[in-house]
Amino acid sequence: MTADRVPSPCNSVCKLDQGGAYCVGCLRTLDEIAGWSAFDDERRRGIWKQLRQRRALAGQAPCERPR
Amino acid sequence: MTSAPARSAPPALLPGMQVLERGWLSSNNVLFEEGDRLSVVDTGYASHARLTAALIDRAGGGRRLARIVNTHLHSDHVGGNARLARGGGVSIRIPAGAADAVLAWDVERLGYRATGQRCPRFDFDGLFRSGDVMELGGRPWQALAAPGHDPHMLMLFQRQGRILVSGDALWEDGFGAIFPELEGEPGLADQRRTLDLIAGMKPLLVIPGHGAPFCEVDAALRRAYQRLDALQSSPQRNARHVLKVLVKFWLLQVGQTTLGRLVEHFSRARYPRIVHERYFPDLAYEAMFERTLWQLCASGAAVRDGSHFRNADGGAAR
Repeated sequence: MTADRVPSPCNSVCKLDQGGAYCVGCLRTLDEIAGWSAFDDERRRGIWKQLRQRRALAGQAPCERPR
Repeated sequence: MTSAPARSAPPALLPGMQVLERGWLSSNNVLFEEGDRLSVVDTGYASHARLTAALIDRAGGGRRLARIVNTHLHSDHVGGNARLARGGGVSIRIPAGAADAVLAWDVERLGYRATGQRCPRFDFDGLFRSGDVMELGGRPWQALAAPGHDPHMLMLFQRQGRILVSGDALWEDGFGAIFPELEGEPGLADQRRTLDLIAGMKPLLVIPGHGAPFCEVDAALRRAYQRLDALQSSPQRNARHVLKVLVKFWLLQVGQTTLGRLVEHFSRARYPRIVHERYFPDLAYEAMFERTLWQLCASGAAVRDGSHFRNADGGAAR
């Protein structure tokens, strides 16, 4: 099981934003998605933390909000 | 097995090799650097192709994609082929057993109609067979037949490093649904032989078609055999599982659905029809799907919201 490793944030939306910089489903950048399987847990936790922040910011700017 | 690495660290790959870990709708993409070029094994689902192309571009660091290799022809493994190859200069190699169906683009034999999934047409340039050795990232990888989930599926094994690209024959927790068994073909028996083959090769690292690469192969095989025993213990169980997988896959695509829309989507899909006729003839077609939706809700893979059923991240049904 992967339960004892930090899991992937992928939620199978996998849709690139208009600018081509990040996925509107998980809000990760291309580098964060492509590199995920090679990142250690510390780096993964750091990304999860940033994703929470990005989600909060997206909530304040509805036009940027993922569907 | 050699001693397991610390769990917080990712398994070591070969130099020039990357695994783009995707979700359950898109397969993983395994990238190999070859000078100024790239090869990729499996390309994900069609609706994700724009992201897949951007990821490969980004991860490739300026290298040009020159070759696509597919483990099998399911829509979540070849859905990006057409888009990735549309600019030209990309060769596509597929398992030889699927060649006729791809040449004719026979969506019935390719399983797209049977599963209610879609896949843009593409042409192949080359075939490979069990036993063939191909070079990926400058190293030899041997193709190995892995029937069960798909009768023509091929895995790729790097013998020196004992690294296995397993397709949907072995995941960290399970394996791909055994569709052939529904039509009276020996899918479950084939899957057992495929697991035996993997066990005999003693891979140190498995790169599955879905989920994270893993080194704890013995534990994964134990789980896979247990699951296979359970499926073989009752034909209904395998049929129920196939249905759950198909409905979950549809939910992943659309996000949410009503029962009516779901039944309409699967009205002409062959596999659910077979499941209905052979295994649950006493239920109405719609009632069979309603039960499946509730089973997904019970496992956390879906949630009910009024008359709608929404996709949820728990309890991956695959």
